[in-house]
Amino acid sequence: MSDPIGLALIILAMPLVAALIAVLLSGTSLRTLANLPLIVACGGGAILAFTLLGKVADASTAQFVSDNITWFAAGHLRVSFTITVDPLSAFMLAMVTFIAMWIAIFSSGYMHGDKGYPRFFILMSLFVFSMCGLVLANNFLLLVAFWEGVGLCSYLLVGYYYSKPSAAAAARKAFLITRIGDTGLILGIFLLWRMGGWHTDLTALFDHIAKNPPDQGMLTTACLLLFCGAVGKSAQFPLYVWLPDAMEGPTPVSALIHAATMVTAGVYLIARCAPLFALCPDAQITIAWIGGISAILAGFLAIGQHDLKRVLAYSTVSQLGYMFLALGTLGAINPVFAVTAAMFHLLTHAFFKALLFLSAGSVMHAMGGVIDMRRFGGLRKRMPITHITFLCGAGALAAIPLLSGFWSKDLIFEALSEASESASPFTAGYYILLTVAFLTAFLTAFYTFRAYFLTFWGPERLPAEAGDHAHESPGVMTVPLMVLSLGALFLGAAVEPFNHLFSGFLERTPSLQLAATLAHSSTIAQHFNWTIAGIGTVLVLAGLGMAFAMYRQGGPEKLPWALEPVFQASESKLYVDDVYEAAIVKPATGLAFLARVFDGFLDGLARLISAIPRLLGQWLRPMQNGLVQFYALSMALGLAVFLSFVLFRVAR
Amino acid sequence: MISLWHYLAVAAALFGIGLVGFLTRRNLITMFLCAEMMLQAVAINFAAFARFHGNLQGQVFVMFLIAVAACEAGLALALFLMLYRRGKSLDSSDWQTLRELGVPPAIDTQSFPAPAPVEPDPVLSPAGARPALSTEEAARV
Repeated sequence: MSDPIGLALIILAMPLVAALIAVLLSGTSLRTLANLPLIVACGGGAILAFTLLGKVADASTAQFVSDNITWFAAGHLRVSFTITVDPLSAFMLAMVTFIAMWIAIFSSGYMHGDKGYPRFFILMSLFVFSMCGLVLANNFLLLVAFWEGVGLCSYLLVGYYYSKPSAAAAARKAFLITRIGDTGLILGIFLLWRMGGWHTDLTALFDHIAKNPPDQGMLTTACLLLFCGAVGKSAQFPLYVWLPDAMEGPTPVSALIHAATMVTAGVYLIARCAPLFALCPDAQITIAWIGGISAILAGFLAIGQHDLKRVLAYSTVSQLGYMFLALGTLGAINPVFAVTAAMFHLLTHAFFKALLFLSAGSVMHAMGGVIDMRRFGGLRKRMPITHITFLCGAGALAAIPLLSGFWSKDLIFEALSEASESASPFTAGYYILLTVAFLTAFLTAFYTFRAYFLTFWGPERLPAEAGDHAHESPGVMTVPLMVLSLGALFLGAAVEPFNHLFSGFLERTPSLQLAATLAHSSTIAQHFNWTIAGIGTVLVLAGLGMAFAMYRQGGPEKLPWALEPVFQASESKLYVDDVYEAAIVKPATGLAFLARVFDGFLDGLARLISAIPRLLGQWLRPMQNGLVQFYALSMALGLAVFLSFVLFRVAR
Repeated sequence: MISLWHYLAVAAALFGIGLVGFLTRRNLITMFLCAEMMLQAVAINFAAFARFHGNLQGQVFVMFLIAVAACEAGLALALFLMLYRRGKSLDSSDWQTLRELGVPPAIDTQSFPAPAPVEPDPVLSPAGARPALSTEEAARV
């Protein structure tokens, strides 16, 4: 019970049990208590996960692998059900359960009185369960199983209001687009399985590949295919289009998808497979470029959105882009440093993004479901707590110095600048990407505070839907906000810049150590780079100042004429959706139409053939008149005819 | 001396009677009895040939035949009982509703003769009571 694997299994089982209990509650009069199992499971899971963190930190070996249980086997393919606990997975587990607990508490207030209250919590429990399983899996196919579980739960949760056509369409879009990435992931796994001595267990596979380095081209292909899955799940360019639409789900779902689960799965996958990526520089620079493009593109798209949640959604894409930027430097500099930078940003981002989404949910709750920033404004008097918590989250997201986001983003800048001075063949690329990252920091500060000013500053405006009861949310919603804002403010400073607690903990991960030996890179002395921090701060303050200058009067938005085309381009999402519509969806619809015509032709052919027996039957049908005597007579006569034939013709 | 021919003649007669009865009667139980008759005709043939050839195979077969016939009787009578409960009739032509769709029904041109009135069964008086006697009996006693 006290060994780390047992603990991890309990943590994994609890959300599943919670889901089952919620299913049992849903049919009874206790359905309003369906939120309790999830809260208890996540809370208990978080406590156990923190214990687990302590155990992993104290243990002499940093990795624990469970007993090898064969899941299924066929020929060379042997898939075992193994889970692993190492600093990386223990950290993710603690983060997921902790954030999910506060989101669960928030949503028990937010979803109160909803028709599908138990269904919501059942799905949330399954979501957390899948994410925990994904984090713990030590086998690629097991990982894929949970990966798909996360995808399925996100489909069901995004389409939670399934009677709304836009929600159903958004859920379908999310599912299909992530499926494109998943195809790549599965192909990549099969390629690795072939190259890696027919292993599907991660640890065995990494060891095998480290000992017998495979063909560089093949490995790069496999890595890029794995990355393909990460791109789909983590909503990176060009597959990011599902994430903004996923805002159709209830707001706590957005918080869960964006902060703790789902989108972080891609980042985690790359971090887990660091030993593979450390071997192929081409894959690294591709990751970095995709991350950079996503970061700046999504940052640009966020500045023109009117929907508060969409601004946050694009900012998630942008921040995930940052994480991929850090992961892209993984072999150029010490992989441990790169992964630490990405994971640190993932951690701080989980806190402030969950906080921002829940605050937006609190605003939406008070505004009667309206989330369009053109229709409300000046809410800081009415919703003082939400105002402060949103400000904390916005500050952390914009990376205002000394807040969480600042420290983690600084680490990423540092990783990029180290990479641009490294021995990697792509130093110029890393240099450009560093510039991109700086520009994105400016955009981030601008759009975040644009949203903040438009929502909370200026004269008070309320939509009609809010009625006359627009008020601060109840305590069950504001307490999670306050806890998360503490995290957004101080967590970054508490765990990394002064005591290196976080990096010290993560660097013991064996797979990262392996990646470091494979990449032949020297350890980086962790220092605080004043130049980089200074440039970052100046850009952030510039963005903040610009937002202050333009929006301090609050809404409605008045744009200087020079900026109008920029905002228009951003608001129309740079026509990416339309391009996809014209280039992919329309041809696919045409193809589907052709297939239907061809199917109709085949059906006609089959009907034609089946008409012949039917005609014959028409002719013989009157024989079946229901009289037993008639049947018996025909039988007797038939027998007589047959017998006479035998007697007089054959036997003669 | 009774030869094989005699046996075969009896079997053929039995079979013929059974066949004609099966084809002409409409009472389900009578039809069933006729079918049994045909079966027994076959059984006689078996036994006769067994004796003629001097081996026991045919006789053994007859044993099986009788056992099967008994099972069949049980099943058939149970089915007739169910049919009777549904239709309150044992007339097999009542079940011609099971014909193909769109085929006209066969209708009797001659109606059934009215059944002869049945004497009610005598009823016993409760034990210890003096039975009610008809006048004829009373005169005798």
